[in-house]
Amino acid sequence: MLNILAQEAASATEAGEFLEGLKAIGAGLGYGLAAIGPGIGIGTVVGNAISSMARQPESAGMVRTTMFLGIAFTEALALIGFVVFILLLP
Amino acid sequence: MNFPPVGSLFDWPSIWFEGTFFAINKTVLIYIGSVIITMVIFLLAGRRRETLVPSGIQHVAESGVTFIEESVVMQTIGPEGKKFMPFLTTMFFFIFFSNITEVIPVIQLPANSRMAVPATLAALVWLIYNVVGIRSQGFFGYMKNSLFPPGPPKALYIIVTPIELVSTFLVRPFSLAIRLWANMVAGHLLLVTFAILSATMWAAGGLGYAGALFLSWPMLILMIGFEILVSFLQAFIFTILTAVYIGGSMHPEH
Amino acid sequence: MTRRTRYIGWALGLGVAAGLFTASPAAAVPETIGSCVFEKLVELEESGSSLEALEEEGEEAVVAFSDDLEKCVEAPSLIIPEIDEIIWGGSAFLVLFAFMVWKGFPAVQGAMNARAEKIAADLDAADQAKTEAARIKSDHEAELAGAKAEAARLIDEARGQAEQVKADLVARANEEVAEMRARAAADAEAARNQALADLRGDVSEIAIGAAERVIRTNLDHDTQRALVDAYIDEVAGRG
Repeated sequence: MLNILAQEAASATEAGEFLEGLKAIGAGLGYGLAAIGPGIGIGTVVGNAISSMARQPESAGMVRTTMFLGIAFTEALALIGFVVFILLLP
Repeated sequence: MNFPPVGSLFDWPSIWFEGTFFAINKTVLIYIGSVIITMVIFLLAGRRRETLVPSGIQHVAESGVTFIEESVVMQTIGPEGKKFMPFLTTMFFFIFFSNITEVIPVIQLPANSRMAVPATLAALVWLIYNVVGIRSQGFFGYMKNSLFPPGPPKALYIIVTPIELVSTFLVRPFSLAIRLWANMVAGHLLLVTFAILSATMWAAGGLGYAGALFLSWPMLILMIGFEILVSFLQAFIFTILTAVYIGGSMHPEH
Repeated sequence: MTRRTRYIGWALGLGVAAGLFTASPAAAVPETIGSCVFEKLVELEESGSSLEALEEEGEEAVVAFSDDLEKCVEAPSLIIPEIDEIIWGGSAFLVLFAFMVWKGFPAVQGAMNARAEKIAADLDAADQAKTEAARIKSDHEAELAGAKAEAARLIDEARGQAEQVKADLVARANEEVAEMRARAAADAEAARNQALADLRGDVSEIAIGAAERVIRTNLDHDTQRALVDAYIDEVAGRG
């Protein structure tokens, strides 16, 4: 019986390992792809915020608050990718 | 290099009352600790002292309150949002102190990297902004303003309304909770990664000493500084998003 | 500068301590999958059972045990919140919120308001003191101007009085002089008249006496007197 169980376990591990590998690849790719858009988006947000702060230093406080809001909304997409990554990991 | 499964980095065994609904583990202790710290700060700061310039703990509490008032409430809700000041201040300090344990030696676990409190707070925020919206605009007015925002032509409402429905009533609380939680998980993972890297390189000896001393360990210190910033920023963003949602349901977009 | 260096020192110290604590290998290692499976097998043996016994029990027992083993591979899910943490965390937040509403926030806000009021009151007081000082200054200036005017008035008055007195004195002196002169003139006139009258009487007496004595017999007394008077008047009119 031990043999059967071991065999079963072995085949299960093989399939399982394959699945694990696929999951890992999927997770890594998924997070990497999910990070592209928000990366560009956050760059745009911060860049424009900085240029408007430089243009009108007196409204820097309001611009900074709005910038953080924009970053927060944009970042959500990357975070969803990160969550998928976490969920796919063993 | 033995990297533990990610889940077991965050799931701490219960210390007391194991198996019940009131089990206490490290995360719970951190929550209780941050409650106590905030209470102590506000109690000490609340003692009347006839000094013109606030100092020490008083300064911490007062600049926190001023920060919430000026950068959060006034920017998003306006003067009528002053009645939410205690709620937002509590939220900010509670989240901040639960986050900052990420870099405090010996503790080193952001309590908000467990889903419990972000989810609870997000549910609370969801409840509050809906109640505020219904109270200030009436049920149908609130629904009309949040589901049929003025602006797009009539035909577009076929697309806009479902999107607004999902984004206002479903995505908002989830994104609020997940933003805080995922940031803290990511930060903790970063710190753990560099810490284990340092330890492993140091244990390997030889070239590993140099690698640990000059590469991974300085990176760890850098990351700790970054995580302090992230802890503050996430508390701030959670608070300001709450204020934005409340403000949005108090006075609808025109 | 010293403050900044102190902060940097604190930050460095914190970083070193954090690094030391995180980097300790014991912090990073929970049980591995292998050790978990091994422990489960040992548990099974210790409970008096074995894999063979499980097989004899039937398919279900084997599946149950392999499910049990599967748990070693499964990490606890991260995204599902634990009920105990929700209860504790939520109640901790609510307790803190209640505390803040009840005591913490009003106290700090009160202290801030008190300070703001104190500053405002101080500013008001300073403002009032300033206006008061300005008022006093203008009062003083007005008083000074008044005093100057008063002094000038007094001097003028004195001068006027002096003029008056001088004029009075001069007038009175003139008057007296005139009076004296008049009186003297009158006296002199009277004396002259008297003297004239006396003289005239005397002269006429003498002349009468003399004429009487001379021509007592020719003329009666009255005619002679009239003649003499006429003669004397003529003389007086000439003299």
